[in-house]
Amino acid sequence: MSLHLFVLSPSDTPIYSLTHHSTKPVTNVPSPLASNLPAWSTSAFAGTLTALSGASSVPHHTTGGTVRMGGGQDRHVIQMIANASLDVVEDVMRKENTMYLKSVDKFNEWTISAFITPGNTKFVLLHESKNDDGIKSFFMDVWELYVKTMLNPFHTAHTIIRSGVFDARVRQSAKKYL
Amino acid sequence: MAYSQPHPRLSVLSNSSLSSVEHLSPTTSSRYSIPSAPSINTALGTNKQALSRPNIYDRNLNKPRVTDVSGAAFSFLFSEIVQYTQKRVSGINDLERRLNTLGYRIGTRVLELMVWRAESSSKTPKREIRLLPSLMSIHTQVWRAVFGKPADAIEKSVENADEYMIIDNDPSIERHISVPKDMSQLSCSSFTAGIVEAVLDGLGFPARVTAHNTPTAQFPTRTTILIKLEKSVLEREELLKQ
Repeated sequence: MSLHLFVLSPSDTPIYSLTHHSTKPVTNVPSPLASNLPAWSTSAFAGTLTALSGASSVPHHTTGGTVRMGGGQDRHVIQMIANASLDVVEDVMRKENTMYLKSVDKFNEWTISAFITPGNTKFVLLHESKNDDGIKSFFMDVWELYVKTMLNPFHTAHTIIRSGVFDARVRQSAKKYL
Repeated sequence: MAYSQPHPRLSVLSNSSLSSVEHLSPTTSSRYSIPSAPSINTALGTNKQALSRPNIYDRNLNKPRVTDVSGAAFSFLFSEIVQYTQKRVSGINDLERRLNTLGYRIGTRVLELMVWRAESSSKTPKREIRLLPSLMSIHTQVWRAVFGKPADAIEKSVENADEYMIIDNDPSIERHISVPKDMSQLSCSSFTAGIVEAVLDGLGFPARVTAHNTPTAQFPTRTTILIKLEKSVLEREELLKQ
């Protein structure tokens, strides 16, 4: 199971992203979309839909074949889902005064959780299983690391975070909580 | 091969002796064999460069026990900032705008750090989403974080619904500044205005913030920070009221 984290600047440009492959056991949620489609389906949309459904539970066809649908693990699909969730996030963050917005959006198997820092930087996390406390602890860690990054006088809210230490610390935290 | 013992500079500066040992772990030690490698790495901006120096990620964000910055040192620094800026501008407006920009850079950091210190230990960290509580927190929390005391007053403009004023009777950054007569318009608190603007921006209340001298007999350096909110902010407040 993989998770995707995006850190977005106040103007919604991505300044950091991470794909984490969790080793924690998952309670597999059967993919409603994939199970609705017969395996022999030859519909023109079948491939796209499978790709969009985006779950790792969908069988992959990527190994060596010419068909490359990637079960939604494709980068652009992930990015699109994350992007689409911003609308909902922005709606909710005007009304809710908590920083951690759990499960604000769903797209098939993907659940989107977000964290808004006081300076309006957004952390968006795409995940498949429910793990509220872990995600919250993870977000808190990323927030601390982000604040430290911000304190660097050469960093502005719109600078892409390239620090290797930041990356290592986020990965460490992801391994611990996700 | 790694140095047999931690580099003296590291052991002094890094937070714990443990972390300086970490820096010399086998995974990163290979580059020590080439003396020039670290500087090349730094120039290229590779990921490993930061490991040889104590870095911000190792430090604790909570307040150290001694929190106050020396007033004399700050006054000196700020006077240099003003002089430096003044040499590069053509008028008072320009100078104020530049000071504002410098303050803005402080404000974005103050906001994140201040809220982190207040909220990171709470179970459900909160953000301000309403205007008035935000203004109040600027008046007290931000002022306390930056100047060590809350501002003296906060007022709402009678004529314009979109204007608020934060008043400081004796702004500490201006304590050692006397503005020449021919520049009487200038308020060095534009720097503070920049901080306020950044905080409001970060919280999602875009505004134009300026500083004005409003001396009284009792407080000759009394300064008003004028906040002029954007229209969208007021419209949103109206909607949230319902």
